[in-house]
Amino acid sequence: MSENILVVGGGPAGLNAAVMLSELGVNVALVERDSFLGGNPKKFKYKFLFPDMQPADNVIGELIKKAEAGGGIKVYYSSEISDFKENGKKFDVTIKSADGSEKKTFDSVIVATGFEHFDPARDAKYSYQLFDDVIDIKDLERMMGENNFVRPSNGKPPKKVAFILCVGSRDRHVGNQYCSRVCCTVSVKQAIEMREHFPDCEAYIFYMDIRTYGFFEDLYWQAMEEHDVQIVKGRIAEITSGPDNTVICKGEDTLLRGPFEIPFDMVVLASGMEGGPQSPEISSKLGIELDEHGFLKPENITLSPFKSNKPGIFLAGACTGPKAISDSITEGAAAAMNAYTYAVKNR
Amino acid sequence: MEYDENGVSIVPSEFKKEIFEEARKDFRYEEYVRGCLNCGVCTGGCPPHRFFDFSPRIVLQKMKSKDPELIWTMMDEYIWACFQCFTCAMICPFLNSPGGIIAVLREIAVRRGFESAKKVLKPYSRVLLKLTAYGNQLSPDMIQPDFFPDWGPTIGYASTDLAVKRKAIPMPTLQVTNLAWDVAPEAMKELYEIFDEAGVFKIIESVDPSLYEIIQDIVDDVRSS
Ligand SMILES: Cc1cc2nc3c(=O)[nH]c(=O)nc-3n(C[C@H](O)[C@H](O)[C@H](O)COP(=O)(O)OP(=O)(O)OC[C@H]3O[C@@H](n4cnc5c(N)ncnc54)[C@H](O)[C@@H]3O)c2cc1C
Ligand code: SF4
Ligand code: SF4
Ligand code: SF4
Repeated sequence: MSENILVVGGGPAGLNAAVMLSELGVNVALVERDSFLGGNPKKFKYKFLFPDMQPADNVIGELIKKAEAGGGIKVYYSSEISDFKENGKKFDVTIKSADGSEKKTFDSVIVATGFEHFDPARDAKYSYQLFDDVIDIKDLERMMGENNFVRPSNGKPPKKVAFILCVGSRDRHVGNQYCSRVCCTVSVKQAIEMREHFPDCEAYIFYMDIRTYGFFEDLYWQAMEEHDVQIVKGRIAEITSGPDNTVICKGEDTLLRGPFEIPFDMVVLASGMEGGPQSPEISSKLGIELDEHGFLKPENITLSPFKSNKPGIFLAGACTGPKAISDSITEGAAAAMNAYTYAVKNR
Repeated sequence: MEYDENGVSIVPSEFKKEIFEEARKDFRYEEYVRGCLNCGVCTGGCPPHRFFDFSPRIVLQKMKSKDPELIWTMMDEYIWACFQCFTCAMICPFLNSPGGIIAVLREIAVRRGFESAKKVLKPYSRVLLKLTAYGNQLSPDMIQPDFFPDWGPTIGYASTDLAVKRKAIPMPTLQVTNLAWDVAPEAMKELYEIFDEAGVFKIIESVDPSLYEIIQDIVDDVRSS
C-alpha cells in the first residue's frame, strides 16, 4: 500500500514536492486554490526568469506538465482545506472544491502556500492607482509576458522609465522590516529586458542598497556595463504628476545630485513579498506557528527550515519567507523527502 | 562666544561634548534617533532642502555618529533651516524623527542663549510678547500691510478701522484689537504659573533680556491686580 501525502499550494515549491513524491510512488493530493497550477509565476505571467533569463515556461511549464500528467498526483483545482484534524500520527482532512467535499486521511502534509505581492497602494507616497503610469514589478512582468509594454495612460511606448526599489519592504511604516530578497534582482532583470527589447527607452533604478546577492550580482554589473542602466542612490520620497503627462520622482540623490525631481513616462515599483492572508489562515487551520513577519515559522530556521513546529507537517517555498524560485524548488524537494520519511516511519 | 573668519563659533571640545550629552540625555532622544538606512527619503521630502544646503539625513547621520565635533557644526545655523513640518518623521522608513531631534538641539541653543538662537528669535519678539504675556499669538493690530504682503490686495482695507470692525463680532471677548480675544486675569495668572514652572520666562531672559523686562512688567501688573 502506498503512502498518502497532501500538498497544499501548486506553486514552484508545491509542484516540485508533488512531482518528487509521485516519482517515489506516493499518492499525492495537490490542493490549489486557483483554477490553474504554477503559483505566482504563472498568475502574473513571468516571462523570463533571473538569473539566466531562461523562459519561465522551461521551469514552471515543465513542472506543471509533470504534475498534470496523472501518475500518482491528483490535482484539486479551485480547492481548499475546509477541515483539518490530527488522527494519531496521521491527518484527517476535508478538501472542498466546486465538485463538493472529499474526506481523506493523509500520512503527512506539505504546506507550500507561497506569498502575496505587497499592494503598493498601501503606501500613499508612491501614488499607485492614482496615476496610470505608476505600475509595479508584477504588473510589468505581466505586460512583458503579454507583449504589451506600453504606458497605461496612452498606450504608447515609454521613453524613460524609473524603477523604485524596496517598495513595501524595509519600511516600518508599512509594517515590513524585512528585505524581500528578489525585488532588486527582478528590477535589474526587468531593466535589462526593457533595454534589450526597447533600446530607445532609458532606464533608471533608484536604490538604497542593491541586493543582487550571490551570482545575481552578474546582472547588476551587466545592467551598467552592457545596457547603460542609470543607477541612482536615493529612495523616492514622493511621486507626483508632471507636465506633458509625466510622473515626477522626487528624492535625494545621496551621492551625486542632491535633491532631484525627475520626470518619467512610467514608474515601476519593486513591491516586495508578504505572507499574505493565506499564511495566518493556514497557520490557524493546521495549528502551525506564524512568525513576526507574517510568514509561516519553521521549527528551526537554520537546521530544519522545511519543518513546521508540528510533527508530520512540512513547509516549502515562499510561505516561510521571501525567496527565489530555485530555493523554493529545492525546499519542495527537501520537504518531500521529509514528508516521505515521516509517512514511511509511521505506516 | 568667539567666531572664526567663517562665522563658526570657536569653543573647546569639552563644551561640544557637553552639548551632545545634553541632547543624548533628552527623554526624546531614543525615540527620535534609531537606525538610519541613509536612504534620503527624509531629505527628498524636506521643503527647505530645495532652497538651502540642508538635509535631515545629514542631521540624523551626524547624531548617529555620536561625534560631538560633527554635531556642533549644526548648532550655529544648520538647525535653524528646518521648518519643523515633520514631513521627515512621517515618511522615514526607520521611524526616525530628524525634525524632532532638531527641536531638541534648538531647545539647547535657546536654553543656553546661543547667538544663533537670539538672531533667529529676534523677529518673533512681538509674537513672544503676546504669547507669554496674554496667551494670544496674533492680534488684529499686528495685521499691517508691511508685515503681511502675502495677504494680497485687501490687506490695506483689512488693517483699517479695526475697532469698528471688531465690534461687529457677536462675541464680546473678541471685540478687542490689541489681542485676538480678551483674556481673563485668572487665566493669565494660571498661564504665568505654567510658564514659570516650565522655565519659559528663564529662557526668554537668556535670549532677549529687554523683551523679558517688558513681559515681567506686565506679569507683575496682572499678578498684583
Ligand atoms: C515580480 C516577481 C518576479 C520574480 N521573478 C523571479 C525570477 O525571475 N526568478 C526566480 O527565481 N524567482 C523569481 N521570483 C520569486 C518567485 O516568484 C518565488 O520564489 C516563487 O513564486 C515561490 O514559489 P512558491 O511555490 O513558494 O509560492 P507561490 O508562487 O506563491 O505559489 C503558492 C501557491 O499556493 C496557492 N495557495 C496559497 N494559499 C493556498 C491555500 N490556502 N490553499 C490552496 N492553495 C493555496 C497559491 O494560489 C499559489 O498557487 C519573483 C518574484 C516576484 C515578486
Ligand atoms: S531585494 Fe532589494 S528591493 Fe527588495 S527589499 Fe531587498 S533591498 Fe529592497
Ligand atoms: S521637520 Fe525640518 S527636517 Fe523634517 S522635513 Fe520638515 S523642514 Fe525638513
Ligand atoms: S528617511 Fe530615515 S532612514 Fe532614511 S536617511 Fe532619513 S533618517 Fe535615515
